[in-house]
Amino acid sequence: MSGSEIFLQQLIIGLSNGMIVALIALGYTMVYGIIELINFAHGDLFMLGSFAALTVVGLLGLDQLTAGAPGMWGGLFVMLLVVPLFCGGLNWLADRFAYRHLRESTKLAPLVSAIGLSFVFMNIGLLWGGVPMNVFGLGHSAASPKDFPALVSNVNLLGQSAVEFTEKDLMVFVVTLPLMVLLTWFVKGTRSGKAMRAVAQDRLAARLMGIPVDRVIGQTFLIGGALAGVASVVSSVYNNTIYFQMGYRAGMDAFTAAVLGGIGSLPGAVLGGLVIGLARALCDQYLETRWTNVLVFTVLILVLVFRPQGLLGARAKEKV
Amino acid sequence: MPAPRRILFHWSFLIVAALIPLIELVLPGHPRIGDLLRPIFIMAMLGLGLNILTGFTGQLNLGVAAFMAVGAYSYAILTCDIYPFRLGFWSATALTVLVGLTVGLFLGLPTIRLRGDYLAIVTLGFGEIVEDVLKNLDSITKGTQGINPLPGPSWFGYHFHAETYQPWYYLFLGFLAVLVLLNRNLQRSRVGRAWISIREDELASSCMGVNPMKMKLLAFALGAAQCSLAGALWASYLGSSGEPGNYDFQVSIIALCIVIVGGMGNVGGVLLGALVIMGFNSIVLETVTNFLKAHQLISSSNVFTAPGNWKYMLYGLALILMMRFRPEGLLPSRQFKAEVHPNEPHSPPTS
Amino acid sequence: MNILEISDLTVRFGGLTAVNSVSLDIPAKEIVSVIGPNGAGKTTLFNAITGIYDPTNGRICFNGEEARRPFRWTTALTLALVGLIAGLSLVLIVNVEPLWDTAITSNYTYQQTFLWSNAVSAASNYFGELPIQRFVVPFLIGGLVGLAGALAIWHRTRRAPEVAARAGIARTFQNIRLFNQMTALDNVLLGMDSQLRTSVWHAALRLPLYWRERDEAVQRAMDILRFVDLDRDANQLAENLSYGHQRRLEIARALAMQPRLLLLDEPAAGMNPAEAQELMKLIHDIRDRGITVLLIEHHMQVVMGISDHIAVLDHGEKIAEGNPEAVRSNPKVIEAYLGKES
Repeated sequence: MSGSEIFLQQLIIGLSNGMIVALIALGYTMVYGIIELINFAHGDLFMLGSFAALTVVGLLGLDQLTAGAPGMWGGLFVMLLVVPLFCGGLNWLADRFAYRHLRESTKLAPLVSAIGLSFVFMNIGLLWGGVPMNVFGLGHSAASPKDFPALVSNVNLLGQSAVEFTEKDLMVFVVTLPLMVLLTWFVKGTRSGKAMRAVAQDRLAARLMGIPVDRVIGQTFLIGGALAGVASVVSSVYNNTIYFQMGYRAGMDAFTAAVLGGIGSLPGAVLGGLVIGLARALCDQYLETRWTNVLVFTVLILVLVFRPQGLLGARAKEKV
Repeated sequence: MPAPRRILFHWSFLIVAALIPLIELVLPGHPRIGDLLRPIFIMAMLGLGLNILTGFTGQLNLGVAAFMAVGAYSYAILTCDIYPFRLGFWSATALTVLVGLTVGLFLGLPTIRLRGDYLAIVTLGFGEIVEDVLKNLDSITKGTQGINPLPGPSWFGYHFHAETYQPWYYLFLGFLAVLVLLNRNLQRSRVGRAWISIREDELASSCMGVNPMKMKLLAFALGAAQCSLAGALWASYLGSSGEPGNYDFQVSIIALCIVIVGGMGNVGGVLLGALVIMGFNSIVLETVTNFLKAHQLISSSNVFTAPGNWKYMLYGLALILMMRFRPEGLLPSRQFKAEVHPNEPHSPPTS
Repeated sequence: MNILEISDLTVRFGGLTAVNSVSLDIPAKEIVSVIGPNGAGKTTLFNAITGIYDPTNGRICFNGEEARRPFRWTTALTLALVGLIAGLSLVLIVNVEPLWDTAITSNYTYQQTFLWSNAVSAASNYFGELPIQRFVVPFLIGGLVGLAGALAIWHRTRRAPEVAARAGIARTFQNIRLFNQMTALDNVLLGMDSQLRTSVWHAALRLPLYWRERDEAVQRAMDILRFVDLDRDANQLAENLSYGHQRRLEIARALAMQPRLLLLDEPAAGMNPAEAQELMKLIHDIRDRGITVLLIEHHMQVVMGISDHIAVLDHGEKIAEGNPEAVRSNPKVIEAYLGKES
């Protein structure tokens, strides 16, 4: 492959992965925007979604099918229904039982609670990997990574070209783009969306206006979690592997993306996700893979030092 | 009266700890309880390092394992004879503390201004970066093999070795006692007051002339130095630097649990937390696992039966439940307890 | 002589202009009140003076200088130094593995004596033969990022509250912001913090300076508490004090800073006439100690009773200024606000 072809290929890989990061980042930024909490457990929620997806695969026998069979699309469809519901519901429960009573507390308490929850989720992932189903390796070596079957093929849609845009890449965009449009319509156009924005701006005022603040916050967690669920399905199908510690990496990338784009800003999260995805792909190709994590982290530090509000965010002032 | 009870705990802990090896001598069978206590001392030191930034100043640090790793590896490089430095225990330890302080300053300068939750994530990143760097620079750090063997400490000609554990025990206990004293002195001084005012109300504190950035950086660097010391002692105890994977997120979270469960901002609380958490980790978990193994209740194909597989969940639940029901910790500093239970009447600590 | 000169000050938050082109001169050792309806921008004005908000426009001069960290040649030197260290660090980081190899590993045979001179010459050879991209490029990148970062951080903390505080401006808050879980004594001692010289070393090792300074500080703190008539409550937790006592404690804490200018934000809020009288006497005593007092207040008895000078704000603009008589009879003021005799 020529130099420019390699570059183009990395662009495609970067954008596809970036969209996945963007979906997770959206969940982070929505929750942060509304209650100023970094939901540490969000990345692990994504991981649990992947395990849920693999369970669906096992229950529907999708691992027995060959790629491209019509059952595939049905299976994918079911996953995209079940897993976001699962993740959204789990996130809602997290708010209800781990965060809600800490709303008025010190800044430290909800953070610590979120870390605790992250650990709980991670342990669930570990144990889940030991479930005696075929897809999980029949319960042996619960901690090792699991293969996720190739539901969507690697067929290059650009025919014979050296640069590949595969069915998988198409799936990523087909799932994520409409979802983002839907989200934008929801937040801007619907009453619930407006309520969310109101609560994010001024919780007390929203309450005085009669907005059921706790319910709106719960909804936000639900939607953010659902987004992570979609991301986990897409990621599992795209990368074909899951492991119980993947939440940490995914969470760091997504948080960096959210901060880069401007925490609290939805378009910012998407922009940030794409940038991080691209940065990873380019770094893997042109520098060394072993330094990619360091690079992403350095990006985070640089953003926080030079432009803490991110690319699209606004400066906040503390009210005295 | 509550105040003396609070002061006494860390001293009683240290006194009891000092007596244990002597008690063992008179007990039949000479149980080596002290052997099991050494990791607790090390983790208590790590907890004290974390306590300065998180307990006193109220800034969450999720990457103390990074500083422990820096300490362990620095000590290893300075003492192992595969490298030319070959320093003795005392000079290597002193240098390691300086290295820890420097790294703390280096990492803290660009980041300490960040708000609490952002700082938490950034410190999380530190943990990851340091681990990555140690893994990647494997020609220096010897990757997963680690740097070993390391010679034991020597004190006026007496060489420590692994078989008799008592000298090690008192060495570590001595370091711990010194750290307890220094931390308590700082807490009850102008420095501690400034830190606690930042934790309570940073804006008001800065309006009174306190420089929050300088104080936070100080807390961060001192904490880093202490964690590095813990790392150095750990490496000398193991006789090896260990591998980068040993200083991962789990270690940082255990330290966090120690501070949170034990008592934020209270030196005695940290000691109690170390006892509880590490005691659980090393002693209870081990015993239960051995028991289950002996009765063949653990099967390798059933992941749910091995107690070790529930560790994360227990730490996580500990944090969540503590925040729910007792955020000040088991043995809180009187001030912090009042901060998290704002509606109850309180009596003041002695100044 | 003016201790504070506010020239054409504007403070804007996004679309909202809280303070609009306000100019005000505060003569030294006077008691000046700022009054106006709620939302007039008074507290925002205070926040701008104490460095919490940056002015969008205009200047605030305290004792002839703007209360912000000056850019001196030492600042430039420090920034350059930071850049230099950052650049060198990056060069070192990028080259650490090969450097370590040539300087240390290659020169060292197991357990033989190590010649440091060899290591040093190997290192300098290494750098001598280094291609540009592994030396100049990292140095420039590191140096520029370090310099820019240090500059960004310095710039952002230029007008930080502690700068105004150390220059001699102290304040109380509209909603009391005491350190609730510290004792009254500790609160006052905290106010003294910028004057104390006890360092980490002195504190940790309990050197003589620690003990000496602690005794002096406690003495002084008790004197201040006596001045505001709170000495009996010295060991009470701040949150256990009555509301009126808390307000006085906030003032005591501010006085501990030995300020030249004291900003009081609604000190008489919630006070009955007797308490208000005591407050007025306290403010007079403070002024007699040589401290200029700037006051935000709604309590008209207090304002009219002690002010040498009054400024009136409405919707972020100054609409009137003068002595109490002039302001009281100013039709614009009456129209905007006045009329509530407490």
